[in-house]
Amino acid sequence: MPNCKEIKERFTELLLDGVDCRSDEAVSAELRRCPECRSEFEALSVTLRLANRLSDAAVPTEAYWPGYHSKLRQRLLNAQNETTTSRAKAQRRKDELGPLFGPLRPGAGTSLFTRFLKTSVRVPLAVGVALVVAAALLLTFTIRAARNDVQPSHTTTIVRVPVEVPVVEEKIVTRVVYRDRRSIVQTAKRPVDALRTEGTFASSQKSRSEATPASLTGFKPTDEIKLTVIKGGLPNEK
Amino acid sequence: MTERDTDAASDIDLIKRAQAEDLDAFCLLAKRYARRIYLLASHYCRNPEDAEDLSQDVWLKAYQALRTFRFDSSFYTWLRRITINAFLNHRRSGFFRRRGQTTMVQLLPIDSEEPHVLFESSSASQENIYNKLLFESVVDALAELTPAQRLAFLLRHYEGMSYDEIAIAMNCSTGTVKKGVWRAIGKLRARLSPEADVPETLTSFASEY
Repeated sequence: MPNCKEIKERFTELLLDGVDCRSDEAVSAELRRCPECRSEFEALSVTLRLANRLSDAAVPTEAYWPGYHSKLRQRLLNAQNETTTSRAKAQRRKDELGPLFGPLRPGAGTSLFTRFLKTSVRVPLAVGVALVVAAALLLTFTIRAARNDVQPSHTTTIVRVPVEVPVVEEKIVTRVVYRDRRSIVQTAKRPVDALRTEGTFASSQKSRSEATPASLTGFKPTDEIKLTVIKGGLPNEK
Repeated sequence: MTERDTDAASDIDLIKRAQAEDLDAFCLLAKRYARRIYLLASHYCRNPEDAEDLSQDVWLKAYQALRTFRFDSSFYTWLRRITINAFLNHRRSGFFRRRGQTTMVQLLPIDSEEPHVLFESSSASQENIYNKLLFESVVDALAELTPAQRLAFLLRHYEGMSYDEIAIAMNCSTGTVKKGVWRAIGKLRARLSPEADVPETLTSFASEY
């Protein structure tokens, strides 16, 4: 069984179509059963009937129409005249330009191109030969130029790529080098704390110097050594 | 061909003659359908001057396009399509005059020189007053709608077109058309229903009608 909303939609459509709602059984049964639907139906039918009467109110009287039609006729005549004038102008333009552009039209019997093909001009033999030779030369040069323009596909291409190069930096590193005093000054007294500081290094060097006593020959103690450090270079690189 | 014969000529004959640039034949066609087109225009633009201009524009467009008429529909259906397009184009171009609530029927003053124009008898005068009140109520209700909604309602109610036909003519969806029509009915219902502030005599008059 349809609900009130569906029935309302249905009788509205029937009223809009001007169909008698009593012809629809479902609608008439619902209108008998539901007082709300009935009052809605009545209100809507009065509304649409009133709206229908708008047509009667909006139509002008008979006296209005002759003026309307004469005005319309005048406007139509003006439009017709404008069309005729523009057509005449177009025709005149066509007549004026026709002889000029007529041969170029696709349908034209003797077109300019056809006439050009059929036309023959008498040329002296020497001039003819010269023209042929010139044309042949021109063709040859054109072909050669075209061949030169073609680049082989395997040509080496130079590409410039920025590369980071290791930079040599000079750095002065100061190191204190202790010499073995025993081999130079046996009796010299040294400060206690200095001896204590050097102790470890001296004792470690002692065994070495004893093992290779000739290694200290010609050894010149110095306070500074010069080291060259290559930044980013290989370990054996200088 | 006598004038009577011309009047009795079918639409097809008149159209064929009009297509051959017979202006008289076209004017006869215009006489046949001018009221319907004018009525649609007047409902749509709610102003007599606009209605006249718009309806005449429709006839001019129809005259210029008559060669394209292929007899595959009735002349009125074809004409109505031109009318709808003209309405929609005019809506886009802001053609309508902005004069507030200018109504089609204007009340004559009591000491009018020509009272016979509208008031020929006492019953006629009563009907005229009802008509004016009614007209203003309906016009006010329709004025609250958008032009598209108003057009959808006019085509559905006055022209009896289906929702699908209207949707095709207005180049929009069927749902939009339905919504427009229902909205229009809602507005009219609020304005014109017995519970609304409409003179009781007016609604009873409409009920009797």
